[in-house]
Amino acid sequence: MTPLEPVALLSEDWLFVLRNTDYLLFGLLWTLALTATSLTLGFLLGFPAGLVEVYGGRYSKTAVENVGVVLRGTPILVIIMVTYFGVGLSPAFVAATIALGLRSAAYQAQVFRGSIQSVSSGQLEAARAIGMSKWDGIRRVVVPQALRRSFPGFQNEFTIILKDTSIAFAIGLAELLTRSYDLFVQRTTAVLEVILFVSLLYFIVTFSTNRLLDYLEGYVAIPGGGR
Amino acid sequence: MADPLLRLDDVEQSYGDERVLDGISFEMDRQDVQVLIGPSGSGKSTILRCINRLVEIDDGDIELDGDSIFTMDENDLRRQVGMVFQDFNLFAHLTAIENVTLGLKHVLDMDDEAATEKAERQLEQVGLLDQRDSYPAELSGGQKQRVGIARALAMDPKLMLFDEPTSALDPELIGEVLEVMRDLADQGMTMLVVTHEMGFAREAATDIMFLDDGRIVEHGPPEQLFEAPEQERTAEFLERLTALHGGIHG
Amino acid sequence: MADRDRTPGGVLKLLAFATFWGWLVVRWVNDWTGGILLPVGEPLLPVDTITAIGATFAGTPIGGFFETLAFIAPFLPRLAGGVWLTVILTVGGIALGFVIAVPLAATRVYGHYTRYVALAYIELIRGTPLLAQLFVLYYGTTLSIVIRELPGIGQGIVPPQAVWVALIGFTINSAAYQAEYIRGAIQSVDPGQLRAARAIGLDQLSGIRYVVMPQALRYAIPGWSNELIYLIKYSSLAAFITVPELFNRANSIASSNFRYTTLFVTAGLIYLCIVLTASNIMSRVEDAVAIPGLSVSEGR
Repeated sequence: MTPLEPVALLSEDWLFVLRNTDYLLFGLLWTLALTATSLTLGFLLGFPAGLVEVYGGRYSKTAVENVGVVLRGTPILVIIMVTYFGVGLSPAFVAATIALGLRSAAYQAQVFRGSIQSVSSGQLEAARAIGMSKWDGIRRVVVPQALRRSFPGFQNEFTIILKDTSIAFAIGLAELLTRSYDLFVQRTTAVLEVILFVSLLYFIVTFSTNRLLDYLEGYVAIPGGGR
Repeated sequence: MADPLLRLDDVEQSYGDERVLDGISFEMDRQDVQVLIGPSGSGKSTILRCINRLVEIDDGDIELDGDSIFTMDENDLRRQVGMVFQDFNLFAHLTAIENVTLGLKHVLDMDDEAATEKAERQLEQVGLLDQRDSYPAELSGGQKQRVGIARALAMDPKLMLFDEPTSALDPELIGEVLEVMRDLADQGMTMLVVTHEMGFAREAATDIMFLDDGRIVEHGPPEQLFEAPEQERTAEFLERLTALHGGIHG
Repeated sequence: MADRDRTPGGVLKLLAFATFWGWLVVRWVNDWTGGILLPVGEPLLPVDTITAIGATFAGTPIGGFFETLAFIAPFLPRLAGGVWLTVILTVGGIALGFVIAVPLAATRVYGHYTRYVALAYIELIRGTPLLAQLFVLYYGTTLSIVIRELPGIGQGIVPPQAVWVALIGFTINSAAYQAEYIRGAIQSVDPGQLRAARAIGLDQLSGIRYVVMPQALRYAIPGWSNELIYLIKYSSLAAFITVPELFNRANSIASSNFRYTTLFVTAGLIYLCIVLTASNIMSRVEDAVAIPGLSVSEGR
């Protein structure tokens, strides 16, 4: 092998990646869509769950806690297999959303539980002292503060879901990692190149979304610190 | 002689196994300013919280304006009784004026315009109209507490409860809060105040109650307690208090 | 035994854990030693008896439970074999990851130019999916071929090459996450602590070793707890590089008899038991080494 040939080979693999950029970007679109739907489902279920864990009665609390333990203690791979092959939800996108969304709800419940509890109890006391019902007090005084404190946990959850959309590989959903696999089985010398390119994509998404969330956090922050 | 505004009748309250209030009875007439003093743990704050039912009593009765507070809706009760907290408890995510209008809009169902007007008047009364758009974190302790007082007053309560309103303040900020409280007393508000500020007690109180170990040890006008206390414990406590605070705040 | 173990609920829990791990250990020992109790692969549970019980209660939930149990029982030996690999990958991953993570975290905190190298590594690994990393190692490098050629691989008790590749993958991944926990923990320790140490005459290294680290390591425990649980669950990804661990086995059984829900719920329960055991152990560790007044931080 002359010294130039390895370089030529490398370029060939990179050219392969570049030729298939649109195929991969379409996969990225699916990844982003799945992340958005799962995160949203996780929020819609997780926030009320967090409220129940803090303010709920004995039975509802226990129920929510136990469901949470199961969802957090089972591999996401198993959950997604159950939703797709077991329960038979289809198409794959729906099954994946339900699986990722349910698990995310369990984790988001913990985030919200933590932030709700971090709001000083005097806040709710003061609300009740002016004649507000407990529920109104929670809604108008505790929740606005708790949500602001949940940003870091939420950012963390976003990153986790984004990476875990790759699990949908198991049910053949054509998201980013599945498409990477499809590509490099066509050209097995290009595995490294494909994955590096795809890693860059994951990176860019994570970085920009986190910056966006940071900006949002600053925008809604309470002037002066508010702690 | 009109009915007393507030009446506590043999109130008992326990926290777990610990007996906090052991048969508390007293009355307050309209425009009375009663000051509750006593060592920490004697149950002073608990009495306040029992009156607005933030804490539930185990035995006895409490009447507000002739009606037992246990026959009325909790939230209704709290609309009629205002509370000012040691830790201020201002709604951290709202500006000063929003802190005051929150109750007006969502408890008294006032419309935005009327609520804002009332809140502005209230803030002016405590001298903080120029800070209406500031957030609690941007205010000093004394300013926060005055907003707290405005917030409670805006609900037009029959009775105002003060739970050690100046204990969390730096010494130089205590004066501004006490001034607001004195003005309030002059205007005829019925006030029940838990405090260590003996100067305020001496000047503004109609009556002082000394509480120890969940019981009222002595109850009488300031002249009595300060000059000729009937109980030895009262004299001891007052001596320790003045020695500790090194004088009395104006 | 802690106080919480003395309640009826606590005793029940301990019994459940004991039964679970007891079953696994008996199964493993039996199958490795060529079947000292039962023929290798023969279920421990008396399948016929269970089927009979199920039949007598046929049509009821109890009957259904026993029927399902009877169905699952013959597959349990294979699943148990998978659990062994799950355990190896998890324990190996976290232990080896720790060995790399400590110097990595130290470099990240105290290094001059090397800290950027450490940072790049950590951010790259944490910013990409674990599955992608496994794919790179298995399909993108010659690692599996090289390992296959090593003496002893795949024979007897030594796991096959895919397991080693997976182990390397988990180690590399876990090291990055653990480094972050350790870094956070080191930075949680009040800088005044090290200053005070130097003020009484300890040098930088001893100060770190005797004053900073003991506190930092305690702060890092919740992070480890999280990491351990994470690895238990994500060891399932090794299935995609042909490792015959628990998930892989459940999947292949399910593909053959189409009883997906049953198999995966069973696998899920097994994972749950392992996770709960780990969680339990870690909180005991946390309690055991706790210093009054020193509280803790968050996780993955």
